[in-house]
Amino acid sequence: MENIKNKKILIVDDEPEIRKMIEGFLRKEGFFRIYLAANCEETLKICHSIKPQIAILDVMLPDGDGFTLLSSIRQFSQMPIFFLTAKGEDQDRLLGLGLGADDYIVKPFLPRELILRLTAILKRVYTTTVTQQLPVFMVEGCTIDLESAVVRSNRGEQPLTAKEHALLLKLYENRGRIVTSDALCEAVWGGDYYGYENSLMVHIRRIREKIEMNPSKPKSLLTVRGLGYKLMVKKE
Amino acid sequence: MDGITRILRRFIGVTILICIFLFIFNLIMLGSVVFNGMYGEQSPKNVLRNVVLELERKDSNYVLGESAKNLLEQEHAWAMLIDSTGKVRWNYKLPEEIPLSYTLIEAAKFSRNYLMDYPVFVWEHNDGLVVIGYPKENYAKYQFYFPVSWISSLPMRTVTLFIGNIALALFLSILIGTRLIKSVRPLIAGVHALSNEEPTYVEVKGIFSDLAESINHTSDMLQEKNAALRARDKARSNWIAGISHDIRTPLSMVLGYASELEENMTVPVEQRQQAGIIRQQAQKLRSLVSDLNLVSMLEYEMQPLNLKSIRLSMLARQVASEFLNNGLDERFTITLDIPDENIKVKADEKLLLRAINNLVQNSITHNPNGCKILLKTCLSSDNQTCCFIVSDNGKGVPRNELSDLIELPYSSSRKRLVHNGHGLGLPMVARICQAHHGQLVLESEIGKGMKAIIQLPQVFIQQ
Repeated sequence: MENIKNKKILIVDDEPEIRKMIEGFLRKEGFFRIYLAANCEETLKICHSIKPQIAILDVMLPDGDGFTLLSSIRQFSQMPIFFLTAKGEDQDRLLGLGLGADDYIVKPFLPRELILRLTAILKRVYTTTVTQQLPVFMVEGCTIDLESAVVRSNRGEQPLTAKEHALLLKLYENRGRIVTSDALCEAVWGGDYYGYENSLMVHIRRIREKIEMNPSKPKSLLTVRGLGYKLMVKKE
Repeated sequence: MDGITRILRRFIGVTILICIFLFIFNLIMLGSVVFNGMYGEQSPKNVLRNVVLELERKDSNYVLGESAKNLLEQEHAWAMLIDSTGKVRWNYKLPEEIPLSYTLIEAAKFSRNYLMDYPVFVWEHNDGLVVIGYPKENYAKYQFYFPVSWISSLPMRTVTLFIGNIALALFLSILIGTRLIKSVRPLIAGVHALSNEEPTYVEVKGIFSDLAESINHTSDMLQEKNAALRARDKARSNWIAGISHDIRTPLSMVLGYASELEENMTVPVEQRQQAGIIRQQAQKLRSLVSDLNLVSMLEYEMQPLNLKSIRLSMLARQVASEFLNNGLDERFTITLDIPDENIKVKADEKLLLRAINNLVQNSITHNPNGCKILLKTCLSSDNQTCCFIVSDNGKGVPRNELSDLIELPYSSSRKRLVHNGHGLGLPMVARICQAHHGQLVLESEIGKGMKAIIQLPQVFIQQ
């Protein structure tokens, strides 16, 4: 994790106060190689000379817009880029993401959100050498290893089917929160998922047989009546 | 084009009515004006009859009664009696040039025409033939002869004539009418187009050219006004978008530093709490700005809709889960009532979610003591509209204030001021419904809870 903090970060915004504020937040989080730019020209210059590893772009810049800037950066660099902008309309968001931005945050934003998204992108892009690991976690009475798709408990090791794996992954991503049956079906069967509710119930029952001590009285994979399911995970 | 046939029918009807009226009028005129004064006081026939009746034989002489004499006097006529041998037996004021004896041929001749240019009329008398003569050039005599077959077919001929007249009138009225309609038709089309606010141009010619000109002028004016209105709407919407954009940057800093202070452990607790309040208010301001922007985009029809077919049941579950996941206070409960999983609408999922979220959030905000919230999906009785109902059993709203709630705050159509909140929520929901060709219906009464119904057109899915 340490190597994330020494990534070179470029902040592009025409407002000096905003640049200063973001820089402050990042420094507090332990990032120290931070570069600032106020317009497209400076940005391109810095990109060529310093070769930052991630850039935070504003859309409205004095000498151009961030979308065009993104396109020109993409001609020589594949570094992750995300937009931080006051343009909050859906079209702008879709345009930015469509051009290949890694994320799109609308001002005003919470500093925590910015940091979380930034580190998420950095982790995803720069820790691939460790392979993108799937989570291994504990629930009441057993360990679920999604990386090797098995459930380990004192009853031994039980393999997970592809559908069970997909369901558990979706539930784990939203652990402690209700996941609607619609969202679960979509995660497993994709697109047009109507009519799979009964199959979903079958798969949930099979998962419970593998991870619950008493499948008819579940403690980890809970049913939220009428809405969906919730996975309770033991704190690591 | 129903209007045109109606005009034509009316026109023909009126024409025929005028024809009939003219016919009757002519008959009356014929009787009262034309034939009036055809004879003086007395017709020749009357005078003749009187003379015949009052001409009496006394020995070898004849005496004419006084009244008949007077009659002749009045008409300035003369009279004579011719016996069977052709001799004049008696006369009255006979002009001197009239001969006193006649052959059969002469008698036959004057009985039909004139006697030495005197118009004469004859009548049979016991002792011969009574002849009365009027002054020259006083009467014109004509003889008429008709074949019997012709007379007997006369009624048929009259009827034919009458029908012919009506047919002619009908033909003429249709001819004139259609020509009139032809010139009126483009005008009618123009006026219809005007009422639909479509651009229209009517060719300027004929008797209605000034009318056509003013239609064209009105159309141009309407188009210009609409364009100006659209431009102004766009400008207004852009203005609001610009302002909300400009607010976002300073707000970022308020939000950023406040939340930074709030989490800074070196800052005393009290100041951290104050920073928290600043952060919360800044977040409120953020949602207000984005609501304002959305409402303005919807109001001026500039919000693009990303339409897809969505099951209402899915939205209900998603909204309920979100509220539960975000730590809904236990004073509130959310219940679902989904009788039919298959109710689908074509809608922008994000917008519709925002509308439903807003309604649920309203129930929570306005009932701080807790309430039961019900999310229900249903179909209207005629299967045409889908309803998404958000209702609570909270304190409710007086019925007469309901219509105000969906009007924009500070607009002229809103009678009362906004009580609490920024008042943009329900207007925004209503506009989201309208953008989906649906509507928002509110039902409430004090103490009976609030019921908000989002009505959207049903999407039929082929099974």
